[in-house]
Amino acid sequence: MSTAIKYTADIFEILSKGKFICSNSTEDAGRRLYTAVDENFDELYNYFIAIGFVLEKGDEYFYFSRNEVKATLESKIEQAYRWIDVVDFFTAFNSSFAPGFLFTPADILVQVKMDASLKDKLEIMKRLTGDGSYQDRITTLIEKQLCNPGFAELQNELTNQYKVLASFNYVKQLIVSIQIQEETAA
Amino acid sequence: MSYILSLKELINTLTQAKDLLVEMFEKRKSFMYKYDDAAEVLSEDKIEILISKHILRRNGPYIEIDDQYQQFFEQILEVNEEINTSYINENIQQVKQHISFYLQENNEHRRYTYLKQIKASLRKIGRITLRNVIDLNRNIENAFKTEPNYAIKIARLEAFDEKRRAIYLLIEQTDRLASDEEIIFFTTALDEELKQVVTLLRGQLTESRHNLIETQKQIIEYLNQVKHQSRIQEKIKQVKYLKDQFELKAKTNIAQLLQLSNDVLFETRPAYALKLSLDYLQSDEGNDYIKKVAAKQKQSKRPAMLVAESIASKDLLPQTEEEIYIDLEEIKRGFAASSHHLHNYIMQYNYPRTVTYEEKITIFCQMVSMYEQELNIKEAFQKDEMVEYAMVVAK
Repeated sequence: MSTAIKYTADIFEILSKGKFICSNSTEDAGRRLYTAVDENFDELYNYFIAIGFVLEKGDEYFYFSRNEVKATLESKIEQAYRWIDVVDFFTAFNSSFAPGFLFTPADILVQVKMDASLKDKLEIMKRLTGDGSYQDRITTLIEKQLCNPGFAELQNELTNQYKVLASFNYVKQLIVSIQIQEETAA
Repeated sequence: MSYILSLKELINTLTQAKDLLVEMFEKRKSFMYKYDDAAEVLSEDKIEILISKHILRRNGPYIEIDDQYQQFFEQILEVNEEINTSYINENIQQVKQHISFYLQENNEHRRYTYLKQIKASLRKIGRITLRNVIDLNRNIENAFKTEPNYAIKIARLEAFDEKRRAIYLLIEQTDRLASDEEIIFFTTALDEELKQVVTLLRGQLTESRHNLIETQKQIIEYLNQVKHQSRIQEKIKQVKYLKDQFELKAKTNIAQLLQLSNDVLFETRPAYALKLSLDYLQSDEGNDYIKKVAAKQKQSKRPAMLVAESIASKDLLPQTEEEIYIDLEEIKRGFAASSHHLHNYIMQYNYPRTVTYEEKITIFCQMVSMYEQELNIKEAFQKDEMVEYAMVVAK
């Protein structure tokens, strides 16, 4: 328990903001937190449930959910729509865009310049990226939509290389679990 | 027909060209070795000899190692990527054939030759099988990790799976051959070395079999991963399409799905506006913090208001200051009455104070500009020591 207690504040700090604790975090501290949560899952689960947070375990990542509804359905759908755009853009950029994948904004820029459909997708997301050069938009997109919610981290500041974290599976899983109704022959 | 007459000649030729061959072998994957590059390593006539002996092959500006030799090198160095199962098969057939020859032959010497060939073939089978399994494993891993195209990746993995099955069958076949089918031969041919070879072969076959089981698991896992990945991708595309068509809410269960999920991720970032503990603020430590914050709150360097000294009473008394004023109007009047021209008049005028030459010129200019209407400015010019001036007289 001693280690768990030591990290409880840090864990709460991250998770209560809707972020994730991932096993493949670039920072040592992040990975240490993951181990701490992993080893003391039951204890922490009971601890957090008492203050209204449900500690959830995903595939190599942890996050919080709640028992009661706090966000409106509209805002959730809006958020999900944004993710669909973002995930679609990045998987179109590289089909192996998954946890562990490394990329730089420059890679994406090159791909955007070559691929008209990718460019189109970027144009559509103007609401998220704002105006500006493609480079600015890509950087904003990565920062705001991947790094802020905790789906990716800047791994190397010199080369500007980002790493996709395990939490990216959360969004993918969300999209996969959307069931599309079959067209009925009515 | 062979272009090389003896083994000695072959070895000698290869030795002479060893530098070039090594370099070309290293670059065999690029398919682009220029004749000119080769000429830098080896003299041209030697290259021509190699070409004429069909060790090298010329193709426009490029040359390459003949396929026969390249395969030979690759096999010896065990770097071949091709997994050739037919080769093992052929060896098995050969072993079978030789066994039947052995059993039918009566001449002891010739029987011995057959036995020797059988041993060689068995040894080869074991080695090649094991080698193939290792190659297969490496290639599978390469294909999975480096092949960017999904369709090709799946096709390649499936092809490797096919190869794996073929190798497995061959192992079974060899095993049967060594234990059941030709049991008569193996029991009759009393040869110590043969026994060793067979034991070694069995060991290698078992090892290969174990490896293949692992390989199979690996392939299945990889294939599943790839398929899962591409399924996800398809799903993303479908969902995105529906979203772009504004049909997502109507056609999918996204609303229910999100209704069920209460993940904190969807909430707006909370700001915890907690009140401070009053007890704490009253403690010494709290006081320190209050001071700290107060110091931060204070506007940095507010300029102190300077208070002026009280005004001395004598300063309040009215004072007069006198200034001698040159009245241009008066000068004009005097000038109108005089018979001088303006410059002359101004120079000679009896001013109430001493006036410098410059000031006089200024007065001249002022007069001209102010009373232009009342003066007669002529086209004629005169000079004094310093300036040239127009003749101005009263009207």
